[in-house]
Amino acid sequence: MVVKIRLARFGRRKAPFYNIVVAQARTARNSKPIEVLGTYDPIPKPPADGEGKPFKDIKLDTARAKYWLGVGAQPSDPAWRLLSMAGLLVPKYRPSPRPTPASSIPEASGSADKEANAVV
Amino acid sequence: MPPPLRSPSVLSSTPCCAYQLCRTTGQSSRPFSTTPRHDQRVTRARRGLFRWLTAQGENFRNPLSESTNYMGAYDNRVGVLRRVLEQREQIVLDSAERGEASPEKELSAEKSKSLPPETTRDRMPFPLNKAFVSQAVLSEGLRDEIWSRVMREGQSVREVSAQLKVEMSRVGAVVRLKEIEKEWKRIGKPLARPYARAVMSMLPKTPFRPENFVSHESINDLPVHASTGQQIFHPTSESRHFTRLDAAKVFNKRLLPADDRIPHPELVIQHRERVVEELTVQERKERAELRAAEAEEKREKIANKQAQAEARVKKVESDRWEFRFTPINADDAGKDGRGQSGVGWRYGVPLYDRSRGQVKIPTSVG
Repeated sequence: MVVKIRLARFGRRKAPFYNIVVAQARTARNSKPIEVLGTYDPIPKPPADGEGKPFKDIKLDTARAKYWLGVGAQPSDPAWRLLSMAGLLVPKYRPSPRPTPASSIPEASGSADKEANAVV
Repeated sequence: MPPPLRSPSVLSSTPCCAYQLCRTTGQSSRPFSTTPRHDQRVTRARRGLFRWLTAQGENFRNPLSESTNYMGAYDNRVGVLRRVLEQREQIVLDSAERGEASPEKELSAEKSKSLPPETTRDRMPFPLNKAFVSQAVLSEGLRDEIWSRVMREGQSVREVSAQLKVEMSRVGAVVRLKEIEKEWKRIGKPLARPYARAVMSMLPKTPFRPENFVSHESINDLPVHASTGQQIFHPTSESRHFTRLDAAKVFNKRLLPADDRIPHPELVIQHRERVVEELTVQERKERAELRAAEAEEKREKIANKQAQAEARVKKVESDRWEFRFTPINADDAGKDGRGQSGVGWRYGVPLYDRSRGQVKIPTSVG
């Protein structure tokens, strides 16, 4: 069975809070995972000094995340997004400044996969 | 409510625009006024108001120069400043003592001079509310001095506050506002100078005179803490040495003693060294330096700790948010994943936040 790195939604109604977990793919979302790698609080908090952008808190055990990626755990899309921001993966979806021609898209995604493997 | 009125005989001799207005209320001076006609009729109260305006009210048409012009400073019957009346009486008494028959010369000389200095009694804007006393504001000179001591000479807010007897929060506010003023001047934004001058001329001010120092306010007042508001009967043995430290603990376990809660504990220490211990100037200076060094070390330690924690956090900016990645150790959760120091929602641990009797709104802050 596939081991996945995914988010488990906790918190309350309209106050989400996620655990970043390593779990078997077919287990329930909030069931007890193999390991908790960290947390993601998606509710932005205003900056302390009133300057700059609002921030979102993420707590992550980078070493354990690297280990699980190394043994073939598959991150879900939101988890991929967070892990790529942490510098563990190459971003899957990048906002392109201008629309690219259709022929170049498969090449680009292929190279991204290669890079991802190289980083892991 | 205006104070008691003067006799009407004086009024008829002094017609002025307020009086005129009173007489012409039948036909409103405002042709487009929407006020109903029966509201504009001349009543007794209205007549009384305008009578007062033409008599005592005249004093308040223009501000006095170099003084406040509050209602409480006037004698109700005569409509003259109380301190002026008292000064005149004093002159008459003095001249009577000296045996002079006519003090008119001195009285006329006194009139040409400036007003006698105002006292607390003259700073009551509302005669019926004796408890309300208009407090002095910082004069322009004092504010400039505060700014230059903090920004030019690099003194700490605490030092400046203790020297000039202005509260620390006020010193901070003055420095911030002065900085804004200077910034506005730099970018050429117009300042409301005439307005500031007009308001300042009407308020009591604390001047800055290095040779004749005036204290602005009491700076070392003990702030009232909510937990000290209760009345507690705390039985303790007679032999016990019960200090303010113990009293604070009785009020609240986490409450600091009064000696540490006052804004300027260093002033108390300095006073004790000077008066009780009778140390020399040199010794006091050495001790002060030692204390300053200790405080600086403590501050640096905290700052370093904060900087280290900050350095561990990785910040990634997106279009809208900043994502802050804090490193953790997944093993902190322990073998069963329920450890107190672990992060995240804990598995298999009931959450009581929705059960009855749980207070969700914080009852105290800080």
